[in-house]
Amino acid sequence: MNPALRALNHFGLGARVGEARRLDDPRAWLRAQLRPGSALLEGGGLPTLDEAGEAMRRVREAQTAADRPSVQAARRALQQIRQREGIAALTRRVATEAPFLERLVAFWSDHLCVSVAAKQPVIPLAGLYEREVIRPHVLGLFADMVLASARHPAMLYYLDNFQSIGPESAGARAQARRRGRERGLNENYARELLELHTLGVDGGYTQQDVIALAKILTGWTVQRQVRGGPGGEGYAFRPALHEPGPKTLLGRTYDQGGAKEGEAAIRDLCAHPATARFLARKLAGHFVADDPPESAVERLAGVYRESGGDLRVVSETLVDLDETWDPANRKLRTPQDWVVGVLRAVGAREVGPPVVQVLQALRHPLWAPAAPRGYGDLVREWADPDSLMNRAELARTMARRVGRGALDPARLEEVVDLPPDDPLRGFLADESIATDERVALAFGGPAFQWR
Amino acid sequence: MDRRDFVRGMCLGGLATFAAPLVTFARVPARGRLVFVLLRGGFDGMAALIPVGDPAYAGLRGPMAYGGGDVTALDATFGLAPGLAPLKDFWDAGELVAVHALAIPYRTRSHFDGQAVLETGLDKPTGASDGWLNRLLQVMGGDRSGIAVAAGMPRSLAGPHPVLSWSPTELGTVEEAYVERLHVLYRRDALLQDRFEAALQLQDLQKEEGMDPTMGVRAGGRNRMAPVLEATARFLRDPLGPNIAAVEFSGWDTHANQGMAGGALDRLLGQLAEALGGFKADMGGAWGDTTVVVMTEFGRTARPNGTGGTDHGTAGAGFVLGPGVAGSAVLSDWPGLGQRDLYEGRDLRPTLDTRALLKGVTSGVFDLTPAQAARIFPGSESVRPVAGLMR
Repeated sequence: MNPALRALNHFGLGARVGEARRLDDPRAWLRAQLRPGSALLEGGGLPTLDEAGEAMRRVREAQTAADRPSVQAARRALQQIRQREGIAALTRRVATEAPFLERLVAFWSDHLCVSVAAKQPVIPLAGLYEREVIRPHVLGLFADMVLASARHPAMLYYLDNFQSIGPESAGARAQARRRGRERGLNENYARELLELHTLGVDGGYTQQDVIALAKILTGWTVQRQVRGGPGGEGYAFRPALHEPGPKTLLGRTYDQGGAKEGEAAIRDLCAHPATARFLARKLAGHFVADDPPESAVERLAGVYRESGGDLRVVSETLVDLDETWDPANRKLRTPQDWVVGVLRAVGAREVGPPVVQVLQALRHPLWAPAAPRGYGDLVREWADPDSLMNRAELARTMARRVGRGALDPARLEEVVDLPPDDPLRGFLADESIATDERVALAFGGPAFQWR
Repeated sequence: MDRRDFVRGMCLGGLATFAAPLVTFARVPARGRLVFVLLRGGFDGMAALIPVGDPAYAGLRGPMAYGGGDVTALDATFGLAPGLAPLKDFWDAGELVAVHALAIPYRTRSHFDGQAVLETGLDKPTGASDGWLNRLLQVMGGDRSGIAVAAGMPRSLAGPHPVLSWSPTELGTVEEAYVERLHVLYRRDALLQDRFEAALQLQDLQKEEGMDPTMGVRAGGRNRMAPVLEATARFLRDPLGPNIAAVEFSGWDTHANQGMAGGALDRLLGQLAEALGGFKADMGGAWGDTTVVVMTEFGRTARPNGTGGTDHGTAGAGFVLGPGVAGSAVLSDWPGLGQRDLYEGRDLRPTLDTRALLKGVTSGVFDLTPAQAARIFPGSESVRPVAGLMR
């Protein structure tokens, strides 16, 4: 096993030509990437919450006016915001010198995912969500990340909490009087917060806990942007929509009133041993192997508990674990990682709109999973026949674009850890095969599918 | 030499050391075709197969209750949602069995666990990772094959029996020589070889069928289900093509603004019904031995929630379509909708195990013995196939 290639490919986003030889101390290189604050992605004309809110307001106004062309134009503007975010996120992944950190960002972004495929207001917010919720906390406390997620309009819209109302709240009673329609609880976010974000499905909660948590989180909603109103489409706590009275979640009573209940409940959930175990298994499943050794899971869970959910310490443990370096533990590159890996291998430094489209075709677009569980992460979820052929076709197409002149295909054997007798070596060196086809073979063949 | 000959030549000919279990198409056309349509997200069975004749229905559903005039009546209790009205053609032809109060054998309101149980055919979400359709192929032996017409391999079809997958994409043209070299590389990869070879075979089938690899999906038609089922028909009707297809559609998790006739859910149901009608027509003569099963991971709450939708529940509805069903009927040991009838006071109570339905269907379509059916659904020995479902 080549430890430099292991660090670059298994922990990172793919080796560049020549990079493995320059990497003297792979573990130190990985640890050095874990600098708090360095994951931020901001400024540079990136969309803002104000801009997203403004774009959503235009859609709502066009819809109210039932003017088809302006609805379509307003919707295109939402997609353009998403596109700018997508290009920025992918450019960071392709260009970064801290690819392990970017992998962590992608991991937590998927763990607490929102989806542009589910709800229109998420479209202009998903990239912002990753930049405002995930990046600032990727090396911080997990509880802070979950709290930021719970308060972000993208999540509030995505899992419906923005419209969940305490059935006994003053707001619900007033609405019933005024409009004769009863509004009330929506369990969606509370259930996924327990099942997918914190405890895990076997974490020992009941339907009553789901309802209690949904009540605790009533009033956590979105302040909609209105014309001439204050900027943003941000989080607001509305006391009038909050369910009054004490609630019991996992045997603990929350009766502080207001938004404090949700803050306390989320902190307690994040500190729960079931959460430590659930997150440890998922991290090990992503960074070690589909079915990770129990030793790795236990170590990560222990570190999570002892550090109070400090993700920097947990991430360092991934580097320390022998299991992560064991070449027997390998993972299939997801389509996003495969595309980014190809671009890094050929020395790209930025990406354009076609790459965003390509991820769609590989059914791994940014921020668009079909369900709140996020994207799959197992070999069997990505290595179906059709997907392998799609990658082979795309490798050929990409190689035609990059393959002429600049790149020596023979050097691509440096970016994967090939056995000495692998026939790819022969192909890459075989000058009777067209240069761009040799480039395609490096990326379309099986070696580059693994990390 | 076309690619199929090339693949066969490599695997059956001189390079015997590399011979691996390829996807084997039927040499002799085999009887029986099955399509498993999974609606991911938990479709609201009570808003699809509507218990409009249950005395508690209108009160329970409140503003989300359909009136008798809105639904296509099937019997004294049940009717089809407005969007599903086209299924009446199947009903009139004696080709539709609708089931209600159907649920997986494991009580969960989790999408992920629910889908895992439904797709593995087990009684809990942990255990074997292969899907029940894959086990069905294993049990029936090598002369049948399966295809996922889906983006990715659904768990129901995943497993050791090599299977095909297809989705409407084309990311560039490739030369034969390039693919042949890739094949040389893939033969060194014990885990991926079968899958790559299955993809090669599928390309040939696609070529034989003269299929546009994108099936017009990129054009963005209104009904996204119709082209998927059209493609399924083109693969399945080929006498030497696959016998089993797994198809899936998402978007059924209607927590808010579910709507009524013409609303969000009903539009999806309408697309589904239209796509199923198109599928039958596209199958042509091959429809005669084809059966389609439509299922979901769970039903939804019996009452609407506070946001004009429904939350995760327990029992729901399902549909079996095809000339092989024993005449149109609603099969349900209907538990009723009174407060005490509801499961945990909130969900439709399950009275029919999804495995009983699937055992009934597969046994009928493929003439399985009880022992074979039990191997497809391990641990289900005590679960008897639904009687009188198939001819």
